[in-house]
Order: sequence, then C-alpha cells, then structure tokens
Amino acid sequence: MPEKDESQAKPREEPRIGVYVCNCGGNIGNVVACDNVARVLGKLPNVVTSHSHMFMCSDPGQNLIIDDIKEKGVNRVVIGACSLFLHEQTFRSAVERAGLNPYLYYHVGLREQVSWVHHDNPKEATDKATRMMMGGIAKARYMRPLEPVRLDAGKHALVIGGGVAGLRSALDIARRGLQVTLIEKSHYLGGHMAQWERVFPTHQKARVLLKELIERVLAEPNITIHTGAQVVRTQGYVGNFQIKIRQEPRGVHGAFPNEQEAVAVCPIKQRREFDYGLSTRKAIYRAYNGCVPESLVIDWENCTKCGECVKVAPEGMINLNEEAREFDLKVGAVVLATGFKPYEPLYGEMGWKEFPEVITLAQLHRLLDDEGPSDGKFYWNGHPVRDVAIIHCVGSRQIEGVHRPQPDGNVNNYCSRVCCTASMSMAALIRQKAPDAKVYDIYEDIRTYGRGHEDYYRNAGKEQVTFLRYFAEEIPEVMRADESADRPLLVKVKDHLTWGETIELPVDLVVLATGMMPNPVDDLIGMFKVSPGNDRFLLEVHPKLRPVETAVNGIVLAGTAQGPMNIQESCAAAGAAASKVAALLIQGEVELEPFVAVVDPERCNGSGKCIEHCPQEEALTLETFTENGRTFQRAVVTPANCNGCGVCAGVCPNRAIDVAGWRLDEFEAMVEAITDEIPAMEGAI
Amino acid sequence: MSTNEGKPKILILATLSGGYRGADSTGQSHLEYPPNTYILPVMSAAIFRESFYLKAFERGFDGIIVMYSGTDSPYKGESERTAVIVNSAYELMKKQEIDLRRLKLAAICTVCVRPFLNEVNKMNELLGQIGPLQHKTPAVQPVR
Amino acid sequence: MTNTLKIDALVVGGGIAGMQASLDLADQGYQVALVEKNPSVGGMMAGLSKVFPTLDCCSCITTPKMSAVAHHANISLMTYSEVQSVMGNEGDYQVRVMKKPRYVIEDECSGCRSCEMVCPLDLPDYDNEYGRGAHRVIYVPFSTAVPQKALIDIDNCIYCGKCLKACTTNAIDFAQQPEYVNIETTSIVLATGYKTTPYDAKKEYGGGRLRNVVHGMMVERLLAPTGAYGRQLRPSDGRQPDNIAYVQCAGSRDLTLGVDYCSRVCCMYAIKQAMLLAGALPMADITIYYMDIRAFGKGYEQFYENAKAMGIQFVKGKVARITEDENQNPILRVELIDQNSRVVERKHDLAVLSVGMLPGFDPNSMYGVPVDKDGFIKAPNPNISPTLTMREGIFATGTATGPMDIVDSIITAGAVAAEAAAYIQSHNGHRQLVAEQTERSVTHA
Repeated sequence: MPEKDESQAKPREEPRIGVYVCNCGGNIGNVVACDNVARVLGKLPNVVTSHSHMFMCSDPGQNLIIDDIKEKGVNRVVIGACSLFLHEQTFRSAVERAGLNPYLYYHVGLREQVSWVHHDNPKEATDKATRMMMGGIAKARYMRPLEPVRLDAGKHALVIGGGVAGLRSALDIARRGLQVTLIEKSHYLGGHMAQWERVFPTHQKARVLLKELIERVLAEPNITIHTGAQVVRTQGYVGNFQIKIRQEPRGVHGAFPNEQEAVAVCPIKQRREFDYGLSTRKAIYRAYNGCVPESLVIDWENCTKCGECVKVAPEGMINLNEEAREFDLKVGAVVLATGFKPYEPLYGEMGWKEFPEVITLAQLHRLLDDEGPSDGKFYWNGHPVRDVAIIHCVGSRQIEGVHRPQPDGNVNNYCSRVCCTASMSMAALIRQKAPDAKVYDIYEDIRTYGRGHEDYYRNAGKEQVTFLRYFAEEIPEVMRADESADRPLLVKVKDHLTWGETIELPVDLVVLATGMMPNPVDDLIGMFKVSPGNDRFLLEVHPKLRPVETAVNGIVLAGTAQGPMNIQESCAAAGAAASKVAALLIQGEVELEPFVAVVDPERCNGSGKCIEHCPQEEALTLETFTENGRTFQRAVVTPANCNGCGVCAGVCPNRAIDVAGWRLDEFEAMVEAITDEIPAMEGAI
Repeated sequence: MSTNEGKPKILILATLSGGYRGADSTGQSHLEYPPNTYILPVMSAAIFRESFYLKAFERGFDGIIVMYSGTDSPYKGESERTAVIVNSAYELMKKQEIDLRRLKLAAICTVCVRPFLNEVNKMNELLGQIGPLQHKTPAVQPVR
Repeated sequence: MTNTLKIDALVVGGGIAGMQASLDLADQGYQVALVEKNPSVGGMMAGLSKVFPTLDCCSCITTPKMSAVAHHANISLMTYSEVQSVMGNEGDYQVRVMKKPRYVIEDECSGCRSCEMVCPLDLPDYDNEYGRGAHRVIYVPFSTAVPQKALIDIDNCIYCGKCLKACTTNAIDFAQQPEYVNIETTSIVLATGYKTTPYDAKKEYGGGRLRNVVHGMMVERLLAPTGAYGRQLRPSDGRQPDNIAYVQCAGSRDLTLGVDYCSRVCCMYAIKQAMLLAGALPMADITIYYMDIRAFGKGYEQFYENAKAMGIQFVKGKVARITEDENQNPILRVELIDQNSRVVERKHDLAVLSVGMLPGFDPNSMYGVPVDKDGFIKAPNPNISPTLTMREGIFATGTATGPMDIVDSIITAGAVAAEAAAYIQSHNGHRQLVAEQTERSVTHA
C-alpha cells in the first residue's frame, strides 16, 4: 500500500493556525452557515482562533488577521472567501504587514466554488465549505516560510546582431540607463537594411535612415560596440550570464588618405557580398561607402598576406599579423537579434543559376541603387533592360511534395511577409527608371497588408504593371528563348486571372522575389539552449502572452531572428525586447516566485531520475558531495532555471524532491483532511 | 452534521492556469452543480505520482478529475508527463479492480464553463451508475 | 471631489495594447495611470472567441492581463473614465479625467450580482453582444469584467428600488456625481484602438437590412464560450446554418467607402471562424470569397493551409451585391476574378461580412496629435520609431496607429513602453538636474 511518510520533514515550529471564514456580505453567508463552519473548525488541532466575518477583505477584516498574528501568536493563516485570484494578493500583503511570511497563508475559495454554485443545497454547501477549509488547515500545518528567488542581476545587456533590430534594441535599453554591449559578426553595422535601395512605406533611402539610427547609437555613452565579434561560450543564468566573445581582427586601423591605392594594389578579386555578387571587391575592402565602422577590413579567408597593401599604406595602418582576441562579459540578459538571410534558390529553380538573366529581389535592390554596381541604371550585361518578370513566393509558402526541398530536406511553408510590398515598390521604381519597360508581376496573393502598403499595389496598377496569378501547384517555368527571339528568356505561366490560360512572356530579366530564412545560428541555439520552431526561426514562449521571450529566462528575441518582418516590425519587436530587458534588470535584482523544486538532502540518493525527466534546461544537476569522508551524489536545483512544473516530484523514487509551496505531502494531507470526520458539536446546523 | 455522508465524493485537481479558473468562471455564472465536488488548486498536474491517485481513492474519493490546461499548459512537458502518470495510475487501478473511468484527465480552459459542468456531471452520472468505490480493505478512519 | 495624481505615464485605452503598455511601463518601475472609457478593461479582445493561429481561448490571454493591470502596485486603474482636457507642455502634461458615475459605489460593490437578479428590466446589450444579448439595467458588464463592479444604465432605470434592497453592501447611490482626477504626467500613451466598419456601411451588402447577413464580431460572440447563445444560429429563424459565406474586404480596400487600406486581420479571423464553425457544424459548407488571402504572420500560412485541408472553400472573387430569396437566404452576386471576372449568383443561408478596422478616435483636438490620411495617428518616423507621434512626449500604440492583429498590438505595446520609458528617463533626469541646479542657486543666493 502507499507509503506513509512519518519522516517527511515536519515544520520546525508548532503551527498556530488562525481560521477566517468570510460571509462576503451574504454572498457566501446566505448559503454557507459561516458562523457554524468557523465554530466547528475552531475545534481542530492547532487552530488557535477561528472567526467568521462579514467582509474579510475590508480593513476591519484584515485588521482582525493582523491582530491575531500579533497578539495571539498566529503563525499560519487560512482564509475562506471569494476567489483567490481576486484577493490572494490582498491577504498576502496583510499577513506580511503583520510580520509573518506571506506564504504562510492559504486561500480557500468559498464563493465561486461553493456558495455561488450550490444555492439549492445550503446544508451540503456548508458541509463542503467545512471540508474544504479542513483541507486548507491540513495544508497549513505543513506550510513553511518561502522567500522569492532573488538573483543579483547585472545592469548590463548583450545584444547579438548589429542589424536594424539589434541597433534599435541596444538604443532602447541604453536610453533606459542600462549598459549595453552590441556585437556584430560582420565588420560593419546595419545588416541587410544597408543593402536595400529604399524602404516602404515612406520611400526613404534605406541607408539615410540607417545612418541616422547608427549615429544615435554611436552617440549613446552606454553602448559599447564590437564588430567582427561572436559568442564562443556561455555560462550562467538570468541576471548573471558569463559570456566569452571572440573578435576577429580587422587588420586595418582607421582611415588613411591613399586607401584607394592600397585597395588597387591588392591582387585578389572576390565576389562582393554587399552586392549579392553583382560586383567584385578585393581582399582589402570596405563593405560600402559610408559604412560604420568606416575603415577598410581584411578578408582573412582570401588574403594571401602578400603585403602589397602594407607597402602602400602609412606605417602601422595595416597589420596582416593581427590576432583575434577573446574577452569575457558578465551580463544580466541577452537579446538575440541575429536576423535573416535571403532564400537562396536551388539550381534551376525558375532558371536560377541556369540563366544569368535570373536574379533575386535582393539583387534587384542593388541593381536599382544609385550607388550600386550599375550606378542605378537598369542595365543587365551592359544592355538596358526592357521587359522584366517578377515572380513572387520563391522560397516562401512552399508546399511539401510540390516544391523541391532544400538540401536539409526542408521546405519553407511560411509567408515571408515583406516580399509583396517590396516587389510592388520595386516594380514602380523600374517603371520610373525605364518608362518603356514592361513589368509582369506573377503572384499567388498580393499581401500588401501594412499601413501604406496598399498604395504601392494601387500605384503598380497605375504604372501599368501586368498582373498574372499562379497557383503553388503550377510553378511558372523560366526557359531560354529561341535564338531568333529578341528577348533572351521566356516565362511560361498558367494564369488564373484568365481562366487558367497558359501565357508566354518574353523578357530580358526575371526577378525572383525570394523570401526570408533565419540566419544559421545553431551555435547560439546550442549555447543559450533556446529552441527554433518548425519554421527554423527562433521560437517565442507564446505569441501573445510572452511574444519576445524565449523559454530561457533572460534571453529575448528581436527582429527577423524570430520570423519574417519588415523594418518597422523589426524596430517594434526590438523595442518590445528592450522593455522586457529593462523590466528584468532595472532593479539590479531579479525576483522570481518561490515555487521551485526543493531537494530533501536526507532522502536524495542521486538516482538522477529527476534530471532525466526535467523539461527545463539546467534546472537540475547531479553534483558530487563529500561529507565525513563519504562521497555521494545528490540532485541540486538551480532555482533561476526552475519553473516549478513538478515533473521531478512525480518521478523521484525516494520522494526526495518537491515543489516549494505545492508539496505532495501537503496535497496528501489535504485529501486526508477533506475526507475526515467533521468534529461533532452541540447544536450543529 | 455530515450531510454529504454516504454520497460519492469527487476530487478535482485543477490547475491555476486552466481548470481552477474554469471553476471560478462557472461560479461567476452562478450555475449549479452537485456539492460533492472538492476542488484543489494545483500549479501543475505533473507533480502527482500514480500512488497519490490511489491514496485518494483509498481515503474515500470515488472519482477524480484532473483539470489541466492540456496542450495550452504554460509548463513544458506538463501535459505529456501527466498523461504518462495517469496511465500508470490506470495500471495500478486495474490491479485493484477499480473502474478506470473513476479517474479522468480533462483539458479545461479558464472560461470553459460548459466543459467544466459537463465533466462534473458526467462523473456524477457515472458514479450514480457504478456506485461508490468498494474497497477491498476498509478505509482507515484515523482520529485526528 | 477632485484628486490629484502625479505619474510618469498616462495610458489612454484599456484594450490589449493599452494594458500591455501599462504593464511594461509599470514593470520598469514607472507610475502609470490607465484610463478606460468603458466600465471594464479588456477592449475588443475581451469579446473574441479563440485567437489565430494557436486557437487559444481568447479569455485565457486577456483575463490574466486584465487582472494584472488591476493589481499592479504601479498602476492606477480608472475605468468608466474619460479624459476631459490636456494642458501643459512637452514632458509636463496636466490631464483632467472624469470618472463617470456608475451609480454604484465602486469601493463598496462586491460584484455579487444580487442586484442584477432582482432588476426587472432587460436591455439589449449593444456594447458586448452587438444587440444579440441582453443585460439588466443594473449589471456587471460581463462575466470576466475587471473590475467586477456593477453599474446602472441610469437613462433606462425606473428607480423601482429593488436593487437597493438586494444590495448587501449599500453600494447603490442614485445621486452619484462624476468625480474628477487631475493628473500630472511626463508622458502620454494613446492606445485608443479601433472600431469595426459598420456593417451597414456598404448598402449593396444589405448588412442591417437582410436578416441573415451578419458581421464577423457577431460570429465571434456566437463562438465565444461567454457568448449569449452557446451555439451557432442564423438570425432569421434560429436554425443552424449549413451553407455559410464569408465576404472578405467588406469595408477594407474599398475606395467607394473611402477606405483604401487593408485591415490586416480579416483574412485570418475569417479563416479562424470558418475552422471553428466547421468544428461546430461538421456538415456545413463554408466558402470564403476573397481578393487576396493575406496570411502573413508567424504560423498564419500554415493555418490557412490547414483550413483548406479541412475543406473550407476559398473563392477568389469580389462580392458585388447581396440580395435574399423568399426564405431569407442571402444570394451573393460575385465577380469570379479567377474566371476572367465572370459574374455568378451563389445562394447561401448565412453571409458573414468580414468587416475591417476604422480609427476609433481622433486625438487631434484633445491631444494635438494629428492623424494621417487614413485617419490613424500619424507617425513621423514609422520605420525606425513606429510609436512616436507628431507631438513630443505623446506616444501611440496598437490599432490607434493602424490596423493590426493582437500579436502586433502586443509587440507595439512593448515598443511604446520602451520609447516612453526612455523619454521619461531623460525627462525626469533632466527635471532632477534642473531641480538640483535651482537648489544650488538658491543656496548660493
């Protein structure tokens, strides 16, 4: 038969229980005979005083409790009243005001769960109320004082990622008076935003807008920035993360007058990432003119250390033997703003790589950029582009079994959110730059959902962009046109705006509106123990309840690391992340509820069962102790990582682990008490 | 004065994020249900080991409903773990020839008034049909 | 009677955005006053059934936030209250708030509803049930209302005095007068929300005229566990519908109504309702007539795919007009865009207009905050600082700044809290500095 636990740690002091039954102005009292309940309960062991009162929540009611604690030495309080959700906090603070630990009070719901649902049965309702209170009193005998888990928190946050979301969240955290370290993996700030020609819905130049933001960040004394920097190791928990950062050398220190010459003498030619390969750069290069930090950087992967640039540059400007450096940070919270990468189509996917005249939407941005590889002229291969087809949803809204999976076997079954409006905006820009160009827009649904986005759609219509609609199951085909044709490519679409007719479009250029993929951050996922969702973007706890927090306390998300977003949405998410970080760290202390697992050292034999089943990362560990020459293992709880789910309590073979405030022995005592005999009394109801 | 004496007793373990709020909502709607129902708030249902349920039967409860938040649980792993434990409780119940329907796992949301009533009424109906739990060994009546 | 309150942030509007912004500011240690014009916080969200894309019960998300704003030590909650005037300058606003009389003393009322039980008069509930439910003349607004306090619809009260006798706390006061609170605040957050397009706005659709043409919010109430009926029905005869049509963009992307924008939520709520209806009425045919399905958020596309897999019909078509037959079945005249704009007539037994979002409030005259051409609050730098308004120290969040769904409202609420917090920090810091300097100069004088 079930074990009886005489040895289960008994409370250290003799319980002196005060019992209070609220009449609730008749709400309870009209059904439950409150006075009788209070009198009966007064007969139970350990109960030193028992009252019924018209309004326990009123000041006189609360004062009754406070007086009993102070004068009658009551050290456990049981109150039967309305729902605990309404007044648990009220009574907790009353108990605390009297100098008693606030967790030495237990609340029994006698209104919503008794009087309001058993109007027709006052006798049985009274019996139930008595038994529920007996349960509460039994629990009170076992209750122990609890303290909230308090952790010192460094008033310092780490932001990982120097794109628009990282910059914006760093700014918001710093403006609140906290220290921020911002690290960026590449050698310049701004991320993908720097590569966009324009931003919707304001049609501003992206780099102008970005520059303003970067300048605000640089002007903020609380922010320290490291580019070329990555996290290599992490340890600790909310309030106290120890993080090791590795910073790659830049090789070049500051600007110098004959930079152009130093670049010119470099013999290495590489595809320029900033232009998505539409232009080339040297192994000593600058991402783009006006980037921050401004100085040149060495591409160590491709640099042969030939030393030509060193010869040209002023003494000490370039150091090709510079070493990476590592340093440690102690931070209270971490913002993951690791961003996205554009979807890379598979070889042959709508002609990608098969035909040089097939480019992506990101490349189109570069092509139309006044400072881009063609100085903003809409030229391809040296010729003006006349007709162009934009195909939507490349790498988005994919369907398993229809779309070719990526090398890792995945398809992107989500909408990338930004490509529709971006395409509409670019289509109009093409028409401005090349007024004679025909623009075909081949789409599934036009999702110009945001504020001002619909204007772009309407405008594209006005600009005589021709719309064709395809279904995901019938992907448009891109093929080489006959040599005699005066357009190099042919796009074949089954158009559902015209009875599903197959239409052939001769074009000079095909633009694939590629979607967003999360930047690969498996290393950070592993180090911080956060989880990606099915779409492989980082996962929030709950999209509405805790939309920017991860399951790991103190690690929050900002921007497209979490899912496709446009710039506005990334900035909003970054602000939300900053709010969470500020709320967490501003007091210099993190306070968590005391309801976490506790190990009984007497009983724990180090079976490790709890650790095996614990769903929380690093909440439980098995540690080795040596006492009196004896070495043994025992489970140890890290309260910061425990959420009190109680899975451990359910699996421990020795009943050595429990959740503070919700202990199994308390529940057993309650079950026993509820089914016990009610003390007899003369003249009962 | 034990007017509930002899009637079947139902223990309801209700999570604060689910069933307990559902019970409160039912109260706020002033809807009647039988008073043989004893609702205990729990933080997470995963804490209860199988022996706890058996002990509750032994102590005189005739039916138990675990009202948790199901897959909406704020606790990772609560719903899976609870299901595993309830299943092992079923194994023990089989051995003791206790009707398995006496223990029920139900997902109840914070405003699930009708589902709450439905569960309570169904359990009462069942207990009406199969009667109170007959223990092979008489329940202990401790003097407290 | 007038009280004065000195705070860091005044949040106007107690819907989900206003509640979240209040919590995010209060959690940072700032003193917040939250003013809500209705008798309960919760806003539009409190009336919804389940929410996309998780199909969580909506109350499970709102009710904890509602009770959190009521209990937070740094939040002064003022329901059934309206801002009367805003004076002062950037960073130092004086706001006068009127607490409307509930005719029930808030501190005394225990929310027991004894008064409701004895009140002899029922009124149609327009506020919460779109006229499809009823409440008494004295009533607690809804079962999860915060605060759980009654109020009297005094215009309809016959002063029979029954509630007076039933009330156990003597909370009823027919002579109650408005109370005024003067608030001194550093910043103001406008979370004034939206209203839905009136469903009779587009005459061709017959909303308000044809009995079996309803709108999305009515269906929310039918689907909600707290709704008035607890089952699905069509208004003309109470019968269960079995051939339901959803008319998308009923009030959005429609230049004839002067609404040129997309309302962002209607595609998703229609899909969600269709899925819930399909669960409740397994035999029913459900068709969604749409222009573009805009399932753009996290997890939304998969949700749309699930709906298609459940057998919900999606027809790309613009509904031109709705008429009805002799059995009051709505007949939709649809231009099928996928079929070269062929026009057909389709008969259904219930038509749901997926109404969109309109600005709820124009803050210009009261707050000096202009709106944009769409009527929502104008943002001077929408990309980088989406929660700024044209006036310093006044910020905006949620659907006051344009249509958005719950997730995005909650996100912008977090963003506005960060923006306002930084402003308060710099401003209070500045004020402190000025105070110190003044003190010093006084000492030296």
